[in-house]
This record gives sequence, C-alpha cells and structure tokens, in this order.
Amino acid sequence: MGQYNKDIVFGLYNDETELMHAIKEANKDHLDIYDVYTPFPVHGLDPLLGLEESRLHIAGFIYGAIGTLTAFLGMTWIFTKDWPIVFGGKPHWSVPAFIPITFELTVLFAAIGMVVSFYTVCGLGPGVENPILDKRITDDKFCLAFDTHHVSVEQAEKFLKTTGAAEIHNKTI
Amino acid sequence: MNSSNMTRYSMPAKQRTILLSGMALGLISLVITWFGDDAHHTRFWTNFLHNSVFFTGISFMAVFFYSVCNTAWAGWHIQFKRIWESMSMFLIVGAVLIGILTLTTVFDLNHLYHWADSHSVHEDKILEHKSSFLNNGWFIVSFLVILVWFYFAFKIRSNSIEEDERHDKEYKIHFKNRWWTATFLPIAGFTSCLVIWQWVMSLDAHWYSTMFAWYSLASLFVSMIALTILILIYLKSNGYYPNISLEHFHDLGKFMFAFSIFWTYLWFSQYMLIWYANVGEETIYFKTRQDDYPVLFYANLVINFLLPFFILMRNDTKRKYGTLIFVGLVVIFGHWLDFFLMIKPGALHTAHELAGHHGDAHGAADHGHDMVAHASEAGHHAAAHASTFEAGFTLPGFLEIFTAIGFLCGFLYFFYTVFSKSNLVAKNDPYLTESLHHHV
Repeated sequence: MGQYNKDIVFGLYNDETELMHAIKEANKDHLDIYDVYTPFPVHGLDPLLGLEESRLHIAGFIYGAIGTLTAFLGMTWIFTKDWPIVFGGKPHWSVPAFIPITFELTVLFAAIGMVVSFYTVCGLGPGVENPILDKRITDDKFCLAFDTHHVSVEQAEKFLKTTGAAEIHNKTI
Repeated sequence: MNSSNMTRYSMPAKQRTILLSGMALGLISLVITWFGDDAHHTRFWTNFLHNSVFFTGISFMAVFFYSVCNTAWAGWHIQFKRIWESMSMFLIVGAVLIGILTLTTVFDLNHLYHWADSHSVHEDKILEHKSSFLNNGWFIVSFLVILVWFYFAFKIRSNSIEEDERHDKEYKIHFKNRWWTATFLPIAGFTSCLVIWQWVMSLDAHWYSTMFAWYSLASLFVSMIALTILILIYLKSNGYYPNISLEHFHDLGKFMFAFSIFWTYLWFSQYMLIWYANVGEETIYFKTRQDDYPVLFYANLVINFLLPFFILMRNDTKRKYGTLIFVGLVVIFGHWLDFFLMIKPGALHTAHELAGHHGDAHGAADHGHDMVAHASEAGHHAAAHASTFEAGFTLPGFLEIFTAIGFLCGFLYFFYTVFSKSNLVAKNDPYLTESLHHHV
C-alpha cells in the first residue's frame, strides 16, 4: 500500500502568489500538472487547476434524507404499531415530539455518511500510509508537482526554475 | 453614465412616482379600513401596528447587524454598508409611527391591548399580576427605546460619513465608531426584547413565552437580509456597485438561508415546549392559531422554512439573481404573514372581550351588541364568529396587502432619499480593500 510507482519532479515555493503565478504559466505552456499541495486552502486554486466541484454534498443530502426517514418512520412504527405507550395524554403519533430526534438522526447520518464517503474516496483511514513528497508542505511550503510520464524531467526542472521555485526535488512515490 | 455620476445614488423620476403612488395606495387603504371598521377600529389599528412594528424592526435589524459586523471586525460588507446605515435612519419614522401608537394607547384611543383596559385589569387576576410591566409607563419606555436606537444609528452613520470627508491615518473615526457599535449591542439586545414584548406579545396579554423575542427578531432579521439582497440587486442592475460580486450575494444568501433555519428552530422550540407542557394559558395561543387560522399557521412554515431551506440549500442558488429574488420576495412576505399571525388573533380576542365589557358604552350600538353576542358564546373562536371583519383577521385581505405595500413604499422612499445623500461606498474605511477582494 502507498506505492503509486510514479516518478515525481516537484518544486517548493515560498509563497502562494508565486505558486499561483507558476500554475498560470503551466496552463499557458500546456504542462500537465500532477498535483499541487498547500499548507492551507488557497483562494482561487480550484478553478485554476480546473477541478470539478465536489459531489460530497449531494451524498450528504442523500444520507441526511435517509436519516430523516429512518428516524421518522422508525418512531412512527414503534409508537403506533410495535409498542404504543401514552405519554402525558398525547396521541401515539405525536409529530412535534418526533421532530428533535428526526433532526438529530438527519445530522448524524449525514455527518457519518460524509466522513466515511470522504475517507473511502480519498483512500484515507486508519492503517493507511500515503506517501508524501515533503513534510514541509504542511508547514510553510507550496508544492507544485509534475509526473515524469507526462512531462519530461528536464522540462519540469526548467519550468520550476524559471517560475522561481525555491527548491526542486525528484522523488519516486 | 460616467464614474463621477456613480459615486452617489440619485432617484430616477419614475422610481419616485412609483414609490409615491404606492404610499398613496397605502394611505387610501388605511382610510378605507378606518371607515369600514368596527367600533374600536380594530382592523385599522392592527394593520397600523403590524406594519409599523415590521418596518421599524427591519431598520433596527439593519443597525443591529451593522454593529455586529463592525464589532466583529468584519470586512466583507463594507462596500454596501451605506445601505444598512440608510435603512437604520428609518427608525426616526418608526419613532413617529410607534409614537402615534403609544399616544393612542396611553390615552385609551385604540383598544388594541387588553391590559390597557382598566376595567379588564381589575377583574382579571393574571392581568393584575402583570400590571407592573404591562402598563402605560413601560409602554412609553418602549417608545423612548426607539429614540435611543435612532440616536445610536445616527451617530454611527455620521461617523461613517465623516470618515469619507477626511482621511485620518490613525483611524480615529473608525475606532470611535467601533465604540459606538459595541456599546449598541448589549443595549439593543435587552431593549429589543422589551419593545417586542410590549408591542406584540402583550396583545395576548394572558400569554407569554420566553422565546418570543428571539423568535420574532429572527423573523425581522431574515426580512432585513432579504430586503438588502433585493435592494442590492436593484442597484446593481442600474449600474451601481460594479465591485459587488456574486461572492457578496453568496454570503447574504447564506445569511438568509441560515437565519431561516434559525427562525424555524426558535418557532419550533416555542411551539413544542408549549405543546408538550400543555398549560392552559399557554396552549390557547397555539390552539387558536391552529384551529382558526390553519392556512396561515401551516403556510407560515412552508413559506419561511421549507421554501428557503430547499431552494437555498445548494451552492449555486445563492449565486443566482433569479433564485435570490424569488426567495427574498417570498420570505419578506412570509415573515410579514408571521407577524400578521402574531398580532391579529390576540387583537381580535381583545376586541371581543372589550365588546363584552363595554357594550354600548363606546357608542357603537350595532357593532357592540353584535359582538356581545359573539363574545358571550365563545370569545376564543375568533374566526368562526368574526362576522364583521373576517377578511382582515383570518386571512390578509386586499386592504392589508395594500397597506403593507404602502408602508413598504414609504420605507423604500425614505431609504433611497437618505441613501442618495451620502457616497455609495465608504471610500476611506480601513476594511474597504477586504470587501473589494472578498472571496468565499
């Protein structure tokens, strides 16, 4: 696990504006960017890389709707069919009393469902080791990486040097 | 239009005509309501109270949210903060409207409030018990509160305009304004509860709810944000505010979405606690509304919760003018209906009670006798027995709608007049750059 067998050439920039500039240049030169790593979310990065909008929220809506139905229909069945009990003289099917639990289960299903989906799609989770290019990309370095199958090593290195990368490295992950 | 013309707003003649005719329509509706009314002019006074509170509340919410943003060092709204400054100036008109209401209540001319009727108070243990708060003195205090609000709003706006005039490098005016806004917040927090209890909640004088102030103020907040969105879209479509982008609308849309949910949360919390506890004096409030006003009662939730919730849930609907305009119009109308439902049943019940007590004393023999009969049957079954003024009470009639349009046009007319007297953009605000580069 954790081996992609990819030869990566990557440059580390000191500043996100330099990185953004480099990405624009790469798009202009039609260089195929493997990936970009930043220590914090950088505004305007997604459209520059041409990333699609995440579909996680659609999954979240579906999980939430399942939670709503589970809670509401579950309570309806329990309190009207399975084990009807009179609480404070209220009818068995007391919708207002169901609402808080319905709400809680909606949130719970949506939250857990989205976390599991996200981890599954991203290949994360307990016991999974993902290769990283450089530890400092979680601290203060902005990384732009090229896959040598798509961009030659010389071309990548030359590009990184001209766009002002502070460091240039090779790594097989 | 060149750029020098665009630093200030000027009201086109056509807009002026439309707003003035809307105001005339509202005035005519009020007059018609007055003369087609029962002996106590219940329908007229409830309509007057309803719209006065609603639009005064919107202008209060403008200065309140402005103060929240300023105190929180927010920068995204700076470009259009003049809109909220100008909206808040309507408080002075609100003071006049509520002033009329206060005078007529103190001198016993409007009969809106059950607790203001000394005869009822003496006979009624609950009202007598509450008379240390529900009395003319406190009602006058709640009128004075608007003047305090207006004083703060006025100071905040003048400071902001002064900042335009001279560029102070040490941001002295900015910090001075921060003091004003931060001071306003606790004052606004406590006094807004006071006034909403007095003006609206005390219509059902036997009933009280500790959630009422939050719930009704959330209603006003959503309306204020919706109105801001509609005004901004209108201004942008006329070429003003070129630097306000979809990012700003996205944030305003999020506020409209989030506070619609917040409103529902408070509405439901209030409802469920009362439903669950089932204490007679409390339950009657919702019992009346659910049985006699079923359409409004459930439409309230559909319009103010389901529609904004499902329409604004997606990212892209908060970034499209079409959906924002639709939801904005819907929730303004919805929260206006919400206030209708807060005000009308209680006022109608009071009218029946009064008719029972006074009878001929007020010189309206026909209506009086009619209502004695109704009140003696069962004062609570408002809708079934309100034969004299059904349209204005169980559902908003044309007169209610036109009165509301009149008030809305008056609000907008006053707003645009004030708005055209200062620059569109606060050009020396230290956070202006942040607003220009705002990105969600």
